[in-house]
Amino acid sequence: MKETGYIAKSAWKAFVEGLVARYRVYAPCRDGETVAFRRIQGKEEPCLDRPAAGAPKAALLPQSETLFGFVLKKDPVDPRKTEVELKAEIEEPPTVILCGRPCDARGFTIIDPVFLDADPYYRKRREGTTIITLACPTAYEGCFCTSVGGGPADKAASDVLVTELDQGYYVEPLTDKGREALKDAPLEEGAPHREEAEERQRKAFTRVKKAFPGGKDLKVSPERFESDRFWQEASAKCLSCGACTYLCPTCYCFNITDEQGVDTGERIRSWDACMFSHFTLEASGHNPRAQKWQRLKQRVGHKFVYYPEKYGEAACSGCGRCIRLCPVSVEISGIVAALAAPEEPHTKEAGADREEERATR
Amino acid sequence: MQPDNPYLPDLATVIEVIEETPNIRSYRLALNDPERMRQFSFEPGQVGQLSVFGVGESTFVINSPPTRMEYLQFSVMKAGEVTAAIHELAVGDQVGLRAPLGNFFPYERMKGKKVLFVGGGIGLAPLRTLILFMLDHRTDYKDITIIYGARTYGDLCYKDDLKEWGERADVNLILTVDAGSPGAPIREGFVPTVLAEVAPPPEETIAITCGPPIMIKYVLQNLTKLGFGDEAIITTLEGRMKCGIGLCGRCNIGGAYICKDGPVFSLAQLNALRFET
Amino acid sequence: MNAKKMKEALREALPSVDVVIAYGPGFDPLHAEPCFIKDAGRVDDLILNPLCEHNLAGYLTSQKGRTAVVVKGCDSRTVVQLLQEGLVEREKVHLIGVPCRGVVSAKKVMAAIGHEKVLSAVFEADSLVVTTGSGEKRLPLMEVCPDKCRSCQYPTPLIYDVLVDEPLAADKPPESVYEDVEVLEAASLEERKAYWEKETGRCIRCYACRNACPLCVCQDSCIAETRDPHWMSQKSTVSEKMMFHLIHALHLAGRCTECGECERACPMGIPLAKLKRKINKDLKDLFGYVPGTSPEDRPPLSTFRVDEERIEEHKLP
Repeated sequence: MKETGYIAKSAWKAFVEGLVARYRVYAPCRDGETVAFRRIQGKEEPCLDRPAAGAPKAALLPQSETLFGFVLKKDPVDPRKTEVELKAEIEEPPTVILCGRPCDARGFTIIDPVFLDADPYYRKRREGTTIITLACPTAYEGCFCTSVGGGPADKAASDVLVTELDQGYYVEPLTDKGREALKDAPLEEGAPHREEAEERQRKAFTRVKKAFPGGKDLKVSPERFESDRFWQEASAKCLSCGACTYLCPTCYCFNITDEQGVDTGERIRSWDACMFSHFTLEASGHNPRAQKWQRLKQRVGHKFVYYPEKYGEAACSGCGRCIRLCPVSVEISGIVAALAAPEEPHTKEAGADREEERATR
Repeated sequence: MQPDNPYLPDLATVIEVIEETPNIRSYRLALNDPERMRQFSFEPGQVGQLSVFGVGESTFVINSPPTRMEYLQFSVMKAGEVTAAIHELAVGDQVGLRAPLGNFFPYERMKGKKVLFVGGGIGLAPLRTLILFMLDHRTDYKDITIIYGARTYGDLCYKDDLKEWGERADVNLILTVDAGSPGAPIREGFVPTVLAEVAPPPEETIAITCGPPIMIKYVLQNLTKLGFGDEAIITTLEGRMKCGIGLCGRCNIGGAYICKDGPVFSLAQLNALRFET
Repeated sequence: MNAKKMKEALREALPSVDVVIAYGPGFDPLHAEPCFIKDAGRVDDLILNPLCEHNLAGYLTSQKGRTAVVVKGCDSRTVVQLLQEGLVEREKVHLIGVPCRGVVSAKKVMAAIGHEKVLSAVFEADSLVVTTGSGEKRLPLMEVCPDKCRSCQYPTPLIYDVLVDEPLAADKPPESVYEDVEVLEAASLEERKAYWEKETGRCIRCYACRNACPLCVCQDSCIAETRDPHWMSQKSTVSEKMMFHLIHALHLAGRCTECGECERACPMGIPLAKLKRKINKDLKDLFGYVPGTSPEDRPPLSTFRVDEERIEEHKLP
């Protein structure tokens, strides 16, 4: 196969249909005014004019899945005795995530180090998934991918990068998996379109503004981070729902619950959010994070302090969904910018508040 | 738990149920697969996720020591949905077990030293594992002191063990209750207060404590006042746990997961869990 | 909308309240956001314009002390309903009333400008002029207002301590309020079922709608999450999602003041307000009751009258 390729707009539909014939294809699909990732049905085409409302992480970490089923069999002779049989099946159909954005793909680089070794369900699906990413032509509301080491044409975790041009799509295969997915694609020569594609990628890059001194250089001020008052102010308008968490390409917290019919049942894994008030509620009634400011601190702290300490990068791909889709516009990039601000009188004031709070407790 | 799928429990049978107190019962389990039971190994302090199928899972310390492997014991206080279902279990019932999980007591660095146990209520459960383990290797450790209390006499757990330990010459057992009954031969006082009264010297001693959060708070304070260093104070934390393997995020504190980096922490480690540059 | 008068009223109110809840500039020129302030120095940063689409009255039930809050006409209905139900005490709230001819739906603007990053958003006569990297677009306000504004019957707050402008009379026909509900009512049962299954199928159970709803009292003790009683599982199937939305809508029957926050909050664009408004319409027919219009009213589903005026009793044979 040639190094790069080009799919004319007239051939795009056939390309998508070709993928649908071979894979389970997750793509941004339009329903009214909303664009959401889901399986392509029939002859649908993905909607490319904006980033989807949610991230494609559900393809690898479904919102709910059965970890295992169980069957309870009562002994026919002694009804006090019940035998239990467990059955675990991990679904792993070959999947393509088609036309997510670079921030969506980047989300998997955050989840991989945590889940790949430990979780056979995620691992099997991840191994069978090919990621074909669409580069962003511009910045969207709330985007700050360049502040966390990403970019509108970032290649992290993608198997193919596609850049939309006027008459077609410039296609860059990045891995063997990507080349495999493209093997029947209606590809023309990519080289004549390369300059135009790179120009568009450059232009898009200039439109994304830096929200805070970024990437691995981000230093969070300890005084501010530990200031209860800082978080109380930042969280005052927060509704404590799970929208930010569930739309996020990098959030992965989950719950495990059992459901039972009469003599069969299942253990289910489902998405959960640290922003919910009962996330850390214990059976005794004690709740270490009963206040929403504590939960917001945990969310931002996990993404920008605790995870980077372990894995060397922020658990955030800068997609901006949590900002533009939050009902009250909680702005994580603004919070991090405030946390990263150099020492100033305000910081001393924040530290003083903490002392005062401790003294009056 | 199953080696290739950490979410799939081993099946186990309840072989004995012991009433410790009005709301605490101990369950002795054996894995159904005799080969897996034979191969099962763990360290004192590690925990397991006990399943009642159809209801859910809950975390408990493996309460019997690895030196006594006829069964695996778990002590359960009735508090919520899963523990209430566990309290309905009878001998012969089937449960699921995912174990061992988490880290364990650093007993290696306690060898040759004196050991002070400070426990309250069901907090004695993880301590019991280590105490029995140490008694089974008695010569590895110097003086063993146990300060243990509960709200009332009826709330003291493992009364058979307490009797045995009280009769041993090589264990110093101090029992106390918050509220005694007149004429009863037992000391009265809150555990942290009794600790301060007994005032064990910190030299060459490692202190291990577990109990209700409020008790731990004052015990840690009093141990520090007595001169115990942060590395010499060990505790085991509780928290809402789900996956038990450091993924689901529920037990996340700072950069650590209680289920994976804990539940055993030294005071020095606990202090470091607060954000630091 | 008279921002100057609002600021004056808030400065006057500050000494006697513990917190002021108003609108401040959001993360970009297209967004306002709820703003909580305690000191007079910050009043100048507040804004009041058609970007202020949020219903701030929802925060009242979680405030501990005395609160000053800015309310539009639709928001004031929420306050009235909260008073009816005893969820808020009149003496504890100081209401700055804002007569309003309609706000801007940030979502509709985003759709009109291709979701690009907004560089500026300026009001000019009856339009909003939005600039992005691709250029300028002039959007007539009537095209980008939330649907509720097109049939608004309460442009002037029904309850207030200070009114920042001259009161406005309703200028939309009352029949327009439930026009979209009637379209759905005319469809067959199968069509309606398919419609709601398709729409709620997108739900991600984030509970933004529930947490944004000013009248939802269950909030975190929600049946969708609790296991005691255990009515719902955590499976993300259409039936579980429908169950949650139907229960939530029924909990609001005769209580929902149609502020539309549920729909505004929903990140997946589900027409949630329509479901609640359908139930409200039915209750209006049954009991002649409109929620959030008079503090002395009692919600019909919490009261019992031996002779219901509009209900035909089944007569025993």
